[in-house]
Amino acid sequence: MNWIVYICFFGSFLAFGLGTLGLFRFPDSYTRMHAVGMGDTLGVGLLALGLFLLCPSWTLRIKLMVILFLFWILNPTMTHLIAKAGLIHGVRPAKVTKLRKG
Amino acid sequence: MRIRSLVLFALLLAFWLIISAEADLQHILVGTLVAFISVWFWQDLGSRLPSMASVPNLIRLGHCLVLLIGYIFQANIAVAKTLLFSKPPAKPIFMVLEPNLTSNWGRVLLANCITITPGTVTVDVDPETGRFIVHALNEKTGLDLLYWRLIDKIKKLEIKLERGEEHAVVTDGTDDPGSNRVAAGHYRSDSH
Repeated sequence: MNWIVYICFFGSFLAFGLGTLGLFRFPDSYTRMHAVGMGDTLGVGLLALGLFLLCPSWTLRIKLMVILFLFWILNPTMTHLIAKAGLIHGVRPAKVTKLRKG
Repeated sequence: MRIRSLVLFALLLAFWLIISAEADLQHILVGTLVAFISVWFWQDLGSRLPSMASVPNLIRLGHCLVLLIGYIFQANIAVAKTLLFSKPPAKPIFMVLEPNLTSNWGRVLLANCITITPGTVTVDVDPETGRFIVHALNEKTGLDLLYWRLIDKIKKLEIKLERGEEHAVVTDGTDDPGSNRVAAGHYRSDSH
């Protein structure tokens, strides 16, 4: 059981690490949001799975799942709001950004 | 409407009791009071919520969420590959997606699904036309979104719920998979 927990935590660490790397490698705010999304989805999901397996009681496990569910609802909402605010207030995308037409 | 408020009240109270992990008199009283005030304060929201879903529709919604977890996993791997091996690391696109969803909850659900999947972010949703402005990390990710299975699943769920409400369903080819078209020229070019 402990090995599964270690794998989950390591996967979570990788997802957060790659997300942080994306903050430096990606060219603009919009693309950086995709990188951070890795930590927010897979990173948090694997962390919650690892903690779920470690939890001593079902009360804590249910609580953990509720928190994860709320996190996965709130996180995309906030991402959407930041992206929309950026577009409205004129945050320019990187020059390589294309517009898909037709 | 009254049943819906009761269900919302019960959900909020259950959420409070789960998070507080105590069921003594003090916690139950505080939870009841706060849940009641929340339901009363947000009663205007009731008309915007979907009708009470039946058990088969809840199962369909659960199936959508299971599919979504799979897509999130695949998308994370795709974004990691782009990040590590692509040169330049991103060739992003803005695109306009027309999923032909008519209900508010369907649009919110799809917008959240698109945003929670790394590689695509819903930037804006036009409430009148139902068009989504989506930012994708690269062109392939954006094109894959046009034929995303989840869009058709949400459309079918929406149609079933609308039939349950006995409203006339006026859809324009919404059952046709891959009918999500990219509209040209609707992106706000002033932000570029």
